[in-house]
Amino acid sequence: MKRAYLIELAVLKNYVRQLIGLGFFVVICVSLGMQSIVAAPAVLTMMLLMMAAMSAAAYDEQSNWGLFRLTMPISRRDVVLARYGVILTLGLLGMAVGFLAVGLLMAVSSVVELPAGLSALLAYTPENMLATVFATMFCLVMGSVIASIVTPIYFRLGQTKATQYIPLIVVLIFIVPFLIINGTGVLDAGSIHLSSIMRALSDPLAFIETPAGVGAFSAVALVLSLSVLAASAAVSLRLYEKREL
Amino acid sequence: MQALDQDKKNTSNGAAGTSGSPAAPAPLIEASGLTKHYGGFSLQGIDLSVAEGEIVGFVGQNGAGKSTTIKALLGLIPVDGGAAQVLGTRSADLSRPAGAATKERIGVVFDTVSLPGHLSVADVGSIFARAYRAWDQRRFTQLAGTFGLDAARPVKELSRGMGMKLSLACALSHGAQVLILDEATAGLDPMARDEVLDRLRAFVEGPGRAVLMSSHITTDLERIADRVVCIDAGCIVFDLPKDVITDQMGIARCRVADFERIAASGVIPERGLRYLRHDYGIDVLVPDRFAFAESFPQVPCDRMTIDDYLALTLKGGVR
Repeated sequence: MKRAYLIELAVLKNYVRQLIGLGFFVVICVSLGMQSIVAAPAVLTMMLLMMAAMSAAAYDEQSNWGLFRLTMPISRRDVVLARYGVILTLGLLGMAVGFLAVGLLMAVSSVVELPAGLSALLAYTPENMLATVFATMFCLVMGSVIASIVTPIYFRLGQTKATQYIPLIVVLIFIVPFLIINGTGVLDAGSIHLSSIMRALSDPLAFIETPAGVGAFSAVALVLSLSVLAASAAVSLRLYEKREL
Repeated sequence: MQALDQDKKNTSNGAAGTSGSPAAPAPLIEASGLTKHYGGFSLQGIDLSVAEGEIVGFVGQNGAGKSTTIKALLGLIPVDGGAAQVLGTRSADLSRPAGAATKERIGVVFDTVSLPGHLSVADVGSIFARAYRAWDQRRFTQLAGTFGLDAARPVKELSRGMGMKLSLACALSHGAQVLILDEATAGLDPMARDEVLDRLRAFVEGPGRAVLMSSHITTDLERIADRVVCIDAGCIVFDLPKDVITDQMGIARCRVADFERIAASGVIPERGLRYLRHDYGIDVLVPDRFAFAESFPQVPCDRMTIDDYLALTLKGGVR
């Protein structure tokens, strides 16, 4: 698996550089819109998780690379496990780069007076740091879930064919349940006591805003992300084993 | 099938027969009864073997099943029946972890450069270095230099011929024992082709080595192949030592009257008279051109080429 992982990284190396550049552009736009940099690591984490899954699948289809790679001393199992390893690695890389950038900006703003009130905007506060960590870990889960949904589809159908089906699958997973819930009327006034739900959630939500709560949420988010990716990898292994390239 | 039976008989009588002798070492590549059904195509009981020291040319029309057979040999597609092995490992195991060690010793070239286009020639070297324990970077650099490959050039900017040179440089740089080449010389200029054919000939002279090479360029096979195997519509049509085709056989250029005389003479075995009609006459497949020349000195009889033999076998009639 190590060989397949290193090969995958070598193939994606140039693209990752471009992606980080693009990620910073998106981060600047989002930060300007939010007047805050708390979302920077979250954006980079999610972008790299999703784009790693999609671009690696796209390279598989370039010039029959996915087929030729199997003539090398790596198995289908190695290919699948390496793919998930690379997705996770790039997600964590995005997170690290994001935190590094936020840390540097905060450090600079604390020693140099930046124009247009930027120093105040970028200044370190415990609340901002907690929000940054929370948002990043939340996006880690979201990015992992999306990568976990699309990767088995790519392994089964290939990137070109999967691209035709993914919008339909996204609608089925993310929109149809809400349409069904809405259609059944369970959300109608009186059917669900939203106030009691909010009361029940108020304590956990208050806890998540504390350092200990963010720490606990981060641990849960990490475990959840790894679990979702592991479950997806198990599905991909079965699908790719049977796929005729 | 009659042609195949006849050809098998010829093979067993000819030189360089690779099977049948109990003392013969196991072939390095072997397929037996390989069957695979696609939507509108089937491989039907493919038998194929490549022994140590052999270069086997694998020929056939487009869509005849060459690439499918090669994929099946490499374990890239599951088969519906039969068995295949390369270097003693079942093909079905080659895509599994158990096959990794064997794949270290198999060099593969497909008919296109099967690498992502953004990679440079140097990147390709580093990817192969990660993939193969026995990767010889010096040899790769030397071959890339010989083939005129610029290390900084991206794969997508290489011409087809240069791309094939890159693929061949990779296949020859990781200590392979067996080369499986699918149209590997397509797109090469004549000088590069000479260079590649010489290298393949030199490669196979090493101990424990063999080459299976599919090609439409039959002149390449005439230069280096020991044996020629032809597939058509998913069936093996003939499997013959190349020398039997190019040295022993002939092609008689007949008029209609000559053709009838030859058919009546019995010089060519009954039901073995293969012919191809042209506007200007009839070409007849002659199993032994020297014996034929003695019997019919007035009928011109040329040396057989693999192309001629393919045409007579695949398109010709039998009388």
